[in-house]
Amino acid sequence: MNKAEILGLFKKVAENPDWQARQWKEEQNGKVIGFLLTDVPEELVHAAGFFPYGISGGNSRLERADAHLQTWACSFVRSSLALALEGKLDFLDGLIIPQTCDTTRMVLGIWQHASPLPFLLNFRVPRQVDRPSARNYLIGELARLKEHLENYRGSEISAEKLKKSIKLYNHNRALLRKLFTLHEQNPASLSNKQLYTVIKASMLMPREKLNELLTELIKAIEQETAVPGNRIRLVISGTLLEPLEILDFIEESGGIVVGDDLKNGFRYIDGDINEAVKPLEALADRQLNKMPSAGYDIARNPRRYFLVKTAEQKKAHGVILLHLKYCEPENYDYYDNIQALEKAGFPAIRIETEYGTTSLGQMRTRVQAFLEMVGGEING
Amino acid sequence: MAEQKAFKTAGLMKDLMAKYYTKGKESREKGIPVAWVTAVSPVEIFYAAGLFPYYPENFGALAAARKVADKLSMVAEARGYAHDLCGYARCGIGDAYADEHPVGEIVKPDLLFCCNTQCGSLPKWFEVASRFYNAPYFLLDSPQIGNEPDKLCEQYFIEQLKELISFLEEVTGRPFDYDRLKEVLHLSNEACRLWNEVLDTAALKPAPFGFFDACFHMAPIVTWRGTQEAVTYYQALKEEVNERIKEGIHAIPDERYKVYFDHIPLWPKLRWFSDIFAAHNALVAVSQYTHSWAYSFDLERPLESLAENYTEEFVNRCFDYRVQLKVNFMKKYGCDGFVLFSNRSCKPNAYGLYDKRNVISSITGLPGVVFEADMSDLRFFSESQIMAKLELFFEQLSSR
Ligand code: SF4
Ligand code: SF4
Repeated sequence: MNKAEILGLFKKVAENPDWQARQWKEEQNGKVIGFLLTDVPEELVHAAGFFPYGISGGNSRLERADAHLQTWACSFVRSSLALALEGKLDFLDGLIIPQTCDTTRMVLGIWQHASPLPFLLNFRVPRQVDRPSARNYLIGELARLKEHLENYRGSEISAEKLKKSIKLYNHNRALLRKLFTLHEQNPASLSNKQLYTVIKASMLMPREKLNELLTELIKAIEQETAVPGNRIRLVISGTLLEPLEILDFIEESGGIVVGDDLKNGFRYIDGDINEAVKPLEALADRQLNKMPSAGYDIARNPRRYFLVKTAEQKKAHGVILLHLKYCEPENYDYYDNIQALEKAGFPAIRIETEYGTTSLGQMRTRVQAFLEMVGGEING
Repeated sequence: MAEQKAFKTAGLMKDLMAKYYTKGKESREKGIPVAWVTAVSPVEIFYAAGLFPYYPENFGALAAARKVADKLSMVAEARGYAHDLCGYARCGIGDAYADEHPVGEIVKPDLLFCCNTQCGSLPKWFEVASRFYNAPYFLLDSPQIGNEPDKLCEQYFIEQLKELISFLEEVTGRPFDYDRLKEVLHLSNEACRLWNEVLDTAALKPAPFGFFDACFHMAPIVTWRGTQEAVTYYQALKEEVNERIKEGIHAIPDERYKVYFDHIPLWPKLRWFSDIFAAHNALVAVSQYTHSWAYSFDLERPLESLAENYTEEFVNRCFDYRVQLKVNFMKKYGCDGFVLFSNRSCKPNAYGLYDKRNVISSITGLPGVVFEADMSDLRFFSESQIMAKLELFFEQLSSR
């Protein structure tokens, strides 16, 4: 496949999120285990022989969920539940929900009643990550998850299988990071939207196939000559990147995304699993050392300083804070983040987002205005 | 409740709460660190360590009851904190930035301690506050457990208690006093026992004491739990309730029905609600909320026992456990119906109520209703909508 074909395929996957999973299920006669984004050890699910499927929310018919979940719950969870109620997730055999906020902590019981599944489990990530107790606990929690997967599958997950899955995922993350770097170096050959579409698609398709496509894609891009351009460099921060159109708006105004801390962005592909350490310990270490996110209290790496540091390292001209409406943890971080960024000389703007929004016009205007302001600063 | 004879103990309560705030000030002057703590957290450790524990949630509830939560909240909202965050947090953050302090200033922390059994709002609020006040913050993390006690989570909790104790030893510069901890745990046990004996009188028909009384009398079980003051207070309250039973003084004039209420009351509308229920001869008898403080510690295994009590608390439990708990309360107190408050401020207690209502009705056959509002902020209060729901509910009650 050539570059255009590969990108076309990723786009098709992202736009038809159930396509690959349904196809795999039919071909392999296997089981698909969904997860809410993204602090879930997919490697364990993969090693069990299941298809780990990242539920990425939907855009329509959120009101389907209204009988079960208040309208002031975040639209990511509401739309995900709505998808299930609409039957659009009927290929799932199971679901793992990482408890990173009150919504994810409480939605499992609702899901169980509203849309029951044979395998439904909380993944109870530790919310403090600095003290030794967190690691001990997380290893135990990973063992619990593993045991449940083994019971569901009817046999043990061998250490060998797990190591193989870890290797596969490490490889996959490395390829995606490589793609990120290529995008940064040569945005003309891989746009903002194309990059994040690939990341989105990566949660929706079989890893083996994904790695082949990524390898080809990288090869193709590497052959292109980089077009130097004077782009406005931006870091975007938030819980989830949605809607992807915002990336077009950035592009139109001459911007390039050079870094992020999003659960469906760089945070998803950052950091590898140490293959020399016992698998569960290694999985725990990756989780505990992930870049800051609102759901965790990380004293050794406070989020606002992390953002400042990222903006500095990436030589960003500005930072866009995406605030998914009703995302409580994110909202508590916002003011101090923006204060710290501005103090460090990085202009920042907050943009409220929501799954299922129809009016993108206002968002476009705000992005344009912000980039004009920031762009003015570069030139002046 | 309006025409009812006021509790004599109410006077005692005023003194006790005044004493609490004075003690906060004195502690500061004496150089005793003020530690922010959360309502469902092992405060016993802090009393044993000789620190002054302060409950910012109470500050929020006070601001709410005085009907100024919206004012404080707007100060926070001007900085980008959204009005859908927990109202207590909005009041606390608002007060930090506010020039005017309609309920007095929140007591500033020297250190902050949060246990996240209750919710994810408190840890985030405390993080914000720890940055604002530049004070160290300790999060005791408590993953949610299912129907059964959970060894993994208990072990995690115990390890963290040990980490907490080392942290406090560093702050105070003294070794932790385990003998003192035993005394504190004993005092907690006593206060919890007395408090629950008082709550249980709501099962009598007619009852001398109901949920709205409990809301008034609960401040000491939260703030003074672990001290002799709490024990003395609930002894007095229990005596008074017993006198009322003898004298035939009832919580509402003509009790015909008992109702289960979930969960926190609407503080600025406490009186409004209690009057409406009384007018319909319905006693709000019980809520899981006021029963949160029902600990029973084993003095011989203090840390283990703290871990068991706090991780197994309902706020740290899954959907099905909470349904069963509500159903059990309804049975125990002989309830005829239930009212569930979908509290915008309190997501962990609100999410799931729509389904729970159906599940509970199908288990118990009792009528139930869910209404929406905010526990502290009247901007989200629609009297007509709530009245319409309650009227329907009262009709169902009377046709049973
Ligand atoms: S972290 Fe935010 S976006 Fe994610 S589920 Fe929780 S509230 Fe929703
Ligand atoms: S009201 Fe609810 S959200 Fe607010 S502090 Fe209490 S438990 Fe947490």
